Amino acid sequence: MKTPLIVFDNFTFKYDAQVEPTLHDINLTLYEGEKVLILGQSGSGKSTMVHCLNGLIPYSFKGKIQGSLTIAGVDTLHTSIFQLSKIVGTVLQDSDAQFVALSVEDDVAFALENKSMPKKDMIPLVHYALNKVGMIDFLKQVPFELSGGQKQKVAVAGILHEDVKILLFDEPLASLDPVSNLRTVEMMDEMAQDGKTVIVVEHRFEDILHRKVDRVIVLEEGRIVFDGDVNRLLQEDILRKNGLREPLYVQALRMAKIDLKGLSLNQVQDVDFAHFKKQLSFLNDKHPLPPQKERLPLVEVKDVSFAYDPKKLVLKNISFKLYKGERLALVGQNGAGKSTLAKLLVGVIRPLSGSIEINGEDIKIYSIAEIANRIGYVMQNPNTMIVKHMIKEEVSLALTLRKYSADAIDKAVTEALTITGLESMSHWPINALSYGQKKRLTVASILALKPEVLILDEPTAGQDYRHYTEIMDFLNEINVSAGISFIFITHDIHLAIEYTDRALVFSDGSLIKDARIFDALSDQSILERASLTQTSLYTLAQKCGFEPERVIENFILHKGLYE
Amino acid sequence: MKKKSVLELLLGEWNTKTIVAIALGAALFGVLMNYGGITVFTNVKLTTAFLVPVVVGALFGPIPAALAAGLGNVIADTIGGWGYWWDWSIGNAVLGLLVGCLPLYGADIAKGIFKTKHAIIYVVIAVVGNALAFGLITPIFTQLFYGGELVVTFLQANAATLSNIAVLVIGGLPVLYALAARNASAQNLTKK
Amino acid sequence: MSRRFVINLVQGETYLQKLNGTTKLGLFLIVMVYTMMSFDLRLLLPLFILSWIGLASLKPNYKLILGLFGFIFFMNFVNIILYYAVNQDVGSSYLNGTRTVLIQFNSYWYLTIETLWYLSVRQFKMMTSFMISMVFILSITPGELASGMSGLKIPYKISTITSLAFRYIPEIFNDYETIKMSMQARGLELDKRRLNVFKRLKENLMILIPLIFTSFDRIGNIANALDLRGFGQGKSRTYYCEDPVTSRDKLFRGITILLIIFCISFMVYQNVNHFGMWFPFKI
Ligand SMILES: Nc1ncnc2c1ncn2[C@@H]1O[C@H](COP(=O)(O)OP(=O)(O)OP(=O)(O)O)[C@@H](O)[C@H]1O
Ligand SMILES: Nc1ncnc2c1ncn2[C@@H]1O[C@H](COP(=O)(O)OP(=O)(O)OP(=O)(O)O)[C@@H](O)[C@H]1O
Ligand SMILES: [Mg+2]
Ligand SMILES: [Mg+2]
Repeated sequence: MKTPLIVFDNFTFKYDAQVEPTLHDINLTLYEGEKVLILGQSGSGKSTMVHCLNGLIPYSFKGKIQGSLTIAGVDTLHTSIFQLSKIVGTVLQDSDAQFVALSVEDDVAFALENKSMPKKDMIPLVHYALNKVGMIDFLKQVPFELSGGQKQKVAVAGILHEDVKILLFDEPLASLDPVSNLRTVEMMDEMAQDGKTVIVVEHRFEDILHRKVDRVIVLEEGRIVFDGDVNRLLQEDILRKNGLREPLYVQALRMAKIDLKGLSLNQVQDVDFAHFKKQLSFLNDKHPLPPQKERLPLVEVKDVSFAYDPKKLVLKNISFKLYKGERLALVGQNGAGKSTLAKLLVGVIRPLSGSIEINGEDIKIYSIAEIANRIGYVMQNPNTMIVKHMIKEEVSLALTLRKYSADAIDKAVTEALTITGLESMSHWPINALSYGQKKRLTVASILALKPEVLILDEPTAGQDYRHYTEIMDFLNEINVSAGISFIFITHDIHLAIEYTDRALVFSDGSLIKDARIFDALSDQSILERASLTQTSLYTLAQKCGFEPERVIENFILHKGLYE
Repeated sequence: MKKKSVLELLLGEWNTKTIVAIALGAALFGVLMNYGGITVFTNVKLTTAFLVPVVVGALFGPIPAALAAGLGNVIADTIGGWGYWWDWSIGNAVLGLLVGCLPLYGADIAKGIFKTKHAIIYVVIAVVGNALAFGLITPIFTQLFYGGELVVTFLQANAATLSNIAVLVIGGLPVLYALAARNASAQNLTKK
Repeated sequence: MSRRFVINLVQGETYLQKLNGTTKLGLFLIVMVYTMMSFDLRLLLPLFILSWIGLASLKPNYKLILGLFGFIFFMNFVNIILYYAVNQDVGSSYLNGTRTVLIQFNSYWYLTIETLWYLSVRQFKMMTSFMISMVFILSITPGELASGMSGLKIPYKISTITSLAFRYIPEIFNDYETIKMSMQARGLELDKRRLNVFKRLKENLMILIPLIFTSFDRIGNIANALDLRGFGQGKSRTYYCEDPVTSRDKLFRGITILLIIFCISFMVYQNVNHFGMWFPFKI
């Protein structure tokens, strides 16, 4: 007999600052021990729902609640966030904010300290939790020495040892490398096995499916539009209807017009692809290699090394060329030095040795502002990049500083906001935006400048499929029409495959491969060293005995037709 | 809504947000004391740090503002490593308290309310508060802790007072107006 | 802005660093009181010597320390020169009114033994105060400082303010850097090679205001993170970074208590007897 644990009853919530409610009429019952995934577009109210569950609403975010939410028998309106924190553990979407102590071990111990646990009891728990997330070697590290992904692992460790019933994860995978992703998903699964109720908000559905999910909730503009298991979700084609990304293997099956009814689609391993080999055979078609275009080098990095701390090199002897109009992916595990390389390219930090040239000129003679006219950089964390408080001001800042005419500014701003899907909110203050919306805002503010090279650090982290494709398709468009080159820093291998021509694979500060992505992916040792994984298309190819590279190429080719 | 008593306004609301605000305020104060100023006179700096208690006060009340400025000075001394100047920390706390009094005379920055009337009161308090904090409080403690020549202490105090008033008025007013405008705009949002 | 602070963020291995936070803070506070109350070279000199021994035991970066020492010496020196310039008899008022001219420069300027003695002792006192601050700062980490404050029964919400402040100082530097980077990337010229000082000052202000606002925008998120992990739940909390109290700590705590008793007696004695400064050259 399943015991209800969380009950939303006609629940509606409106932020004080908003006119319309963000969550409408939610009726939902979640049971003890369930593993639930919440999907929905950026801004659909997922984080808001999470905040209702952990008590931040109404405790911290002020607003109007109608209906009721009961957790473990208590109405959240009549309890305190403290009481709730004994039942609910949360990993916030913003891992920078979540790190409140001065070192890794202190931070993991924080919840225990607040319970007045003696030190000797805390030590084993802290070590246990850090071991689980693979951060045991970083005990004494201070937060600003950690990469984004590493901070996220610490945040997870901080609630691992807690004796809570419900665990909430708000986009835990957004900035992790693929292998860490698998580990995190496995870890969440273990916790579910331990009898905890695990609730995950995540755009990276395919990664979550690495382990079984009991139930999926889909939100659309604050309403529940689907509530059921993975099979039904995929068979009823809910994701596409709501602008969300389907797992690649499901897309492949759909392309082949295979009837999904009656299939078990829960995980890629479950699907008997060999059975559909005939229908899928189009994925194995051969194509002639596209002719090599003549390429002009635009940026040349020559033997560059860099260290923040003189004792530890973060980048070691990096050399590569970026050609005009090329789209380049930088991939590699957390902390490999990708963001550091981006900062070097835009001149914020300067190489310890070696040089960087644009069109044959060493950039060391140029100021950051001068380099910015040619290389634009959208940083990994949107919060640190935003300097103004109104959306419009933020996007127009660069143009204002460059003394463009008011008309020109208006036109460019409107265009950038339209592409990034923020036009309808252009008069809003930035602090009313969701994380994904902020990320899009930073893309808009750099796009408005139209540089020759655009570096995007994790452009799709925290983005849903619809917005993600809109941004990427637009980037593709200006790549072709204006010959703008791109550098994408990403952990999303499929994104790298689909939208880039070449990949640089980094591991521990070294450039270990500079090749077409397929060549990088086919080398097992490279995969391992850079913490990369294959996508589900690879599994499909293997099961059918197809050539993986060809499958992926055909997949991308057919994608346009299928949509 | 119930009108808050003076004591409540003075103390501010003591929840986790207030604690974080004091902490971040103190950190910012400490950093700006170290790196955000120009030396005007021996141990007197034209520092932008004083904008911090103004903001803390505007959003969280005078006592949090005083703590942010006082602790901020101690933190500045700690990261700067130039020894502790308790007399100045106390003066800073007093000034923080006074310039942080905005909620007491009706300015509600969180709701976007900051009128000319409030601006005038703010400027008057900034001037009088400086005279009090550095013209009286700090010299008394300097005398008590370290001894010294009162005239010189007063001289330094005057230099501090003038530079602080400049920062508080020239920097503080735009910050307050900007903050109020920003909070006023975060209301009644709808999509176009 | 550089991220190198004088205070260490990670605990070191030397004798003093290994002490418990409460011990260190308690001792520091009483020694501070001791320095403030005494204008007596006999009291200051031993402390000054001890502080150098303490400093040496911390194996510090002497270049940094000596640089700071010189800077503080200079600042205080300018101060006492000012004292002298304003009142050539400043010493006499502290030394029971006697006035012994040592050198007469011209009809107006002279130097008395009392003033020379008083100003020298004051300079010495300021340097002693600097030295013990230095030893304290170098021997403690922000985390220990917070747990030490709790140990001294200061409400833990106040000590949390301190540790949170230190947690976010590097973040402020980061913010400063990223805001600067973000502004420069949008075309704000800040390069030293391109601008004169005044222009740069003005442009720097364009970074300052967003810096203050960004820091305050963080408050909500951080407070949420604290609340979600049960902060403020109980009347007290424990500290993971706290070192156990060893016999070494007991020794130092004993010394602290003796010092407290000494300071109180000294102050009472001073007030009852209207005892001024110790002055060996009294005629
Ligand atoms: N503090 C707030 N004040 C006012 N409005 C808010 C606030 N936080 C969120 N909103 C609004 O509520 C809506 C839902 O936001 P929420 O953060 O729940 O989205 P989300 O589904 O988690 O999106 P994402 O995937 O981008 O994180 C957004 O349109 C946002 O503008
Ligand atoms: N400002 C800094 N000061 C000191 N060390 C830093 C700084 N920024 C990054 N590092 C260190 O440099 C290394 C590379 O960091 P970087 O941010 O470039 O990694 P990344 O490849 O972008 O990782 P992620 O995928 O997690 O974003 C990491 O070990 C990190 O700890
Ligand atoms: Mg969200
Ligand atoms: Mg990065």
